[in-house]
Amino acid sequence: MSLLDILLVAIRVAFAAFVPLCFIAVCVWMERRGAGFFQDRAGPNRANIFGFRAAGLVQNLADGAKLFFKEDVISDHIQHKFYFVIAPLIVFFTAVVSFAVVPFADTLVLNGKSYIMQGIPIDIGILWFLALAGFGVYGIILAGWSSTNKYGLLGSLRSTAQVISYEIPMGLAIVSLLVVYGTVNLNGMAQFQGQLLFGFIPMWGIILQPVGFLIFVIAAFAETNRTPFDLAEGESEIVAGFHVEYSAMKFAIFFMGEYIAMFASSAIIVTLYFGGYQIPFLSTDTLITYAKPVAFLLMLGLPAGMYFFAGWIRKNNVSHYPRKNDPRVYEGNIYIKGFWGLVILLELILFAILLCKSGGAAAHIFVVLLQICTFLMKVTMMIFVYIWVRWTLPRFRYDQLQKIGWQVLLPAALLNIFITSAFVVALS
Amino acid sequence: MSAKVKTLERKGSSLAEKIYFVEIFKGMATTFGHFWRNLLDNSNLYVRHYPEVEPEIPVRWRGRHRLTSHEDGTVKCVACFMCQTNCPAECISIEAGERLDDKAEKMPVKFNIDLLECIYCGYCVEACPLDAIRMDTGIYSVTDNNRESFVLGLEELLQTPGAFSEEEYKKGGA
Amino acid sequence: MAEMIKLFVNGNEVEVEAGKNLIDAIGAVGIEIPHLCYHPALGADGNCRMCLVGLEEGGPPLVPACKTPAAEGMKVLLDADHIKKIQHDVLEFQLINHPVDCPVCDQAGECSLQDYYMTYDGQKSRMTVPQVTKSKKMDFGCGVVHDQERCVLCGRCVRFCRQITRTGELGIVNRTDTARVAIFPGRPLDNRYAVNVVDLCPVGAMTSADFRFKQRVWFMKKERGVCHGCSRGCNITIDHNREKDQDDLIYRFRPLFNEQVNGYFICDEGRLSYRDENENRLTEARLSKTTISLDRAVTASLKEFKRAEGIVILISPDCSLEQMVSIKSLAEELGAPLSGFSDGYIKKGDGDDYLIQDDKAANRAGLTALNIDSSQSAFEEALAKAGLLINFNNDLSLFYDESSLKKLFKEKRVIGVTSRDTKLFQMANLVIPVASFTEYSGSIINCDNILQTFNRAITKNDAPLDMSEVAALLGGPLKTNGDRYDKLKKIVVSLNDFNPDTIPATGLKLT
Ligand code: SF4
Ligand code: SF4
Ligand code: SF4
Ligand code: SF4
Ligand code: FES
Repeated sequence: MSLLDILLVAIRVAFAAFVPLCFIAVCVWMERRGAGFFQDRAGPNRANIFGFRAAGLVQNLADGAKLFFKEDVISDHIQHKFYFVIAPLIVFFTAVVSFAVVPFADTLVLNGKSYIMQGIPIDIGILWFLALAGFGVYGIILAGWSSTNKYGLLGSLRSTAQVISYEIPMGLAIVSLLVVYGTVNLNGMAQFQGQLLFGFIPMWGIILQPVGFLIFVIAAFAETNRTPFDLAEGESEIVAGFHVEYSAMKFAIFFMGEYIAMFASSAIIVTLYFGGYQIPFLSTDTLITYAKPVAFLLMLGLPAGMYFFAGWIRKNNVSHYPRKNDPRVYEGNIYIKGFWGLVILLELILFAILLCKSGGAAAHIFVVLLQICTFLMKVTMMIFVYIWVRWTLPRFRYDQLQKIGWQVLLPAALLNIFITSAFVVALS
Repeated sequence: MSAKVKTLERKGSSLAEKIYFVEIFKGMATTFGHFWRNLLDNSNLYVRHYPEVEPEIPVRWRGRHRLTSHEDGTVKCVACFMCQTNCPAECISIEAGERLDDKAEKMPVKFNIDLLECIYCGYCVEACPLDAIRMDTGIYSVTDNNRESFVLGLEELLQTPGAFSEEEYKKGGA
Repeated sequence: MAEMIKLFVNGNEVEVEAGKNLIDAIGAVGIEIPHLCYHPALGADGNCRMCLVGLEEGGPPLVPACKTPAAEGMKVLLDADHIKKIQHDVLEFQLINHPVDCPVCDQAGECSLQDYYMTYDGQKSRMTVPQVTKSKKMDFGCGVVHDQERCVLCGRCVRFCRQITRTGELGIVNRTDTARVAIFPGRPLDNRYAVNVVDLCPVGAMTSADFRFKQRVWFMKKERGVCHGCSRGCNITIDHNREKDQDDLIYRFRPLFNEQVNGYFICDEGRLSYRDENENRLTEARLSKTTISLDRAVTASLKEFKRAEGIVILISPDCSLEQMVSIKSLAEELGAPLSGFSDGYIKKGDGDDYLIQDDKAANRAGLTALNIDSSQSAFEEALAKAGLLINFNNDLSLFYDESSLKKLFKEKRVIGVTSRDTKLFQMANLVIPVASFTEYSGSIINCDNILQTFNRAITKNDAPLDMSEVAALLGGPLKTNGDRYDKLKKIVVSLNDFNPDTIPATGLKLT
């Protein structure tokens, strides 16, 4: 193993472990400010460090600090303290680890050696994901049961029933997808989606499998306990459900676990149905070949985008009430300067690529970076959809939830398999 | 009995509605419209930028209480206990004593309102036969970090000025 | 049972007692005739005209109910329009010069004028001329404060001083608008029943200096009780209230009508004895000046019993029969002599021929009935021989001064079981708090051999135990009230069929 090998493994693992963690902050921030905007409010935007509010991101730090220093209560009535403590950890770790199999860029070829860009490079990625996502619910069950609390128990029971009902359609949706892709390897699937249908439509899962996509997304919402399927916590009827007895960091771990699960499932949805890291119309090979023109286009596009972004900051990062020497204007100007600095840095990097030999290592690395960005962008959008749905739809009633699971999704998924298989057989 | 019956159309039974998705997407379009509008320009949010921008308190707003006084600054209240009797939250506790100036025979020597228990219903103001207690201080935010300081005493209640002129207050319908 | 007659009220036949006036006779069946000046204890005066009723046939069409005896076949009109108009008009006259300062008037809430105004009048004043002003807040002495403006000149107070106390301090001076109740210059109220005029006064013209502004009457809960101030055992209404975050406190005693015992009144001293129920109470057990829990106090007492060479038990003549029998059994159990020595409770020459008695002990008759010795010699002899005195709330300081008490208690251990934290009990080595008479149920026998029962009226936040329960804790054999009643019946012949539930509220005359 060369030094490069070790380095790349380290980068891969680090990416798979830290990106989800970083995305907790992003998710929470998006959720809160997004909720604010959906509801014509501002959302949390006051917490600051020396007047810098980072659009509300500082609020996350404050909350983190608060949760960290809060008293961690384990009530006396809780008998199984071990399970009580381990439950949030299960939720958290299964969520983190389930992301490990998602490819975030195409295989990197350096010096004739290929490196798979996946935290854990295994072939049966999709099964790993299903297994771990299903395992996460044990955390919820344990939490509810060991809380020795009616609300907790009800919450975890609901959660169990829900996961059982929705894992089946989810699995079936994947089956039809497997029939189409002909592989269980997630990277393989992403590569498959790099092709074009009839020469001009990207062959994404959502195009080939629209019904499967809807089923999978609905089931994924249910798996992650997000609205409209958040019956496990249903504040209005069972207070907070399974985590009603949890406080401080233990609660925070549940909370973070949920957001990581959301991130991981967004990543899977993107990989399965939105071409993963693929940039539409530009397959990996094309990109490597045309690295220079792409870099050049980016060099033009970046400042243009930044120009509009700066305008947006100037317009919105102000106090909307009479205020002398508005500090937000000052704050905004500093952000704009900072972002311009970033753009200049990127320009330099892109310029360096223009100077390098085309088709060489630099081009390969450039493409990987580009694909990582694409992938994260897609995931962010998917997370936004999660948030968007949450602030649009009310919670289902429990019977509705089960009815949809068994009477609609399951038959639809089965039907989808037959039709897909028939098509695939007919076409081959 | 001829009650008026208005039959409302029950939604949710047409096929398009039963499929859910159409309606869901419609709803999502609506919420996204709001999101997008606010994202592009956050200057017309429907909220007040509290605490920098304070709400305008109308005369009839029931704010924190005060006890009114005669021109010479002595307390108007005669400790009749009407407010305490009517207070649904039982948060007023008065102790009466002899009054020695000849404004009245009786006056409060202790007059406590526990704001943590008060529900700001304004019954005390309605009940007072002497217009001695009012909720016209315009104080709408009562905060502190210990429970004791939420119990207002006689002095504090007397010293808080009203936020409105007498004419405005009278016009406010009180 | 008195003779019954039938008459008609508003056309409905009712059966009432004969020999009473219309107000009382019809009032007894629940039909109220408004009245101000009439009071059953003082008789009819006929000056207020509030009680005017119509008679349909026979006699004049309009009569004052207070002066008209109920007669067979009478047809009384109460709800006719002209009667209503008369009531309305009489009230309007009453209120011409009335200050209506109900917000500061202590009577508000139990004021006849207020109630009648709400029921029979309810109109705004039509007066345009200024009201006649009179004196307010006049000190009449004996803790009575008078407000001439509020007075409706019913004369009840004047008649009380003339007929009941026969002291005649009050009178009505001047005429018409300027008529007012007054005392003679330099001769304030001076009798031991004076505050009764406050209860008598139908309005807030007479108020009690003691109760003044302490509470609004509607806040208070009313409970029946028996005064323990002297051996008369007057019936009282205990007005008490538990204010927010505070203890259940008594604000006043008022007389409660009991034909057999006290009639309509009580003495001022008894009226003020409510203070002892609130103040200076022993709330926690103490062992040589340190506060201890009740459990520990009981254990400590039992230890004292074992250590002591000879025990004497002293019992208060204020105890109820139940307590007495419990303590008596405890004494028998311990083999200790029991004394009810309480000569200090008798104030020679203090009593009068009306209510007040020389003997300030509430239940001396009970002591006698239970054969408890109360001679001084027996007590002192027994104490001299014993090493431990258990004093059940007997106030020895009424008899002995401090130095003789010290001598008496020399080299003796003293356990005090008491409701009051007095000097005497501060001398004790161990004190155990018990309930006072408003806080337990019991029965006592008064000076006229009338057995009366009373129920617990007050429940303190930290309710101390009844003395009989303490006696049981200290090893007394009578654990329940049932045991106590059984034992009582055995010892006392006259209580052979004693059953507290069947004793009438007005008391049972023992033979
Ligand atoms: S506002 Fe209502 S609750 Fe508050 S003190 Fe007045 S009466 Fe009581
Ligand atoms: S009602 Fe008015 S006068 Fe009466 S006690 Fe309350 S504030 Fe005082
Ligand atoms: S006497 Fe009666 S009516 Fe007159 S002020 Fe007092 S409560 Fe009011
Ligand atoms: S003071 Fe009271 S009892 Fe006496 S005359 Fe006046 S109203 Fe009647
Ligand atoms: S009660 Fe009959 S006239 Fe006064």
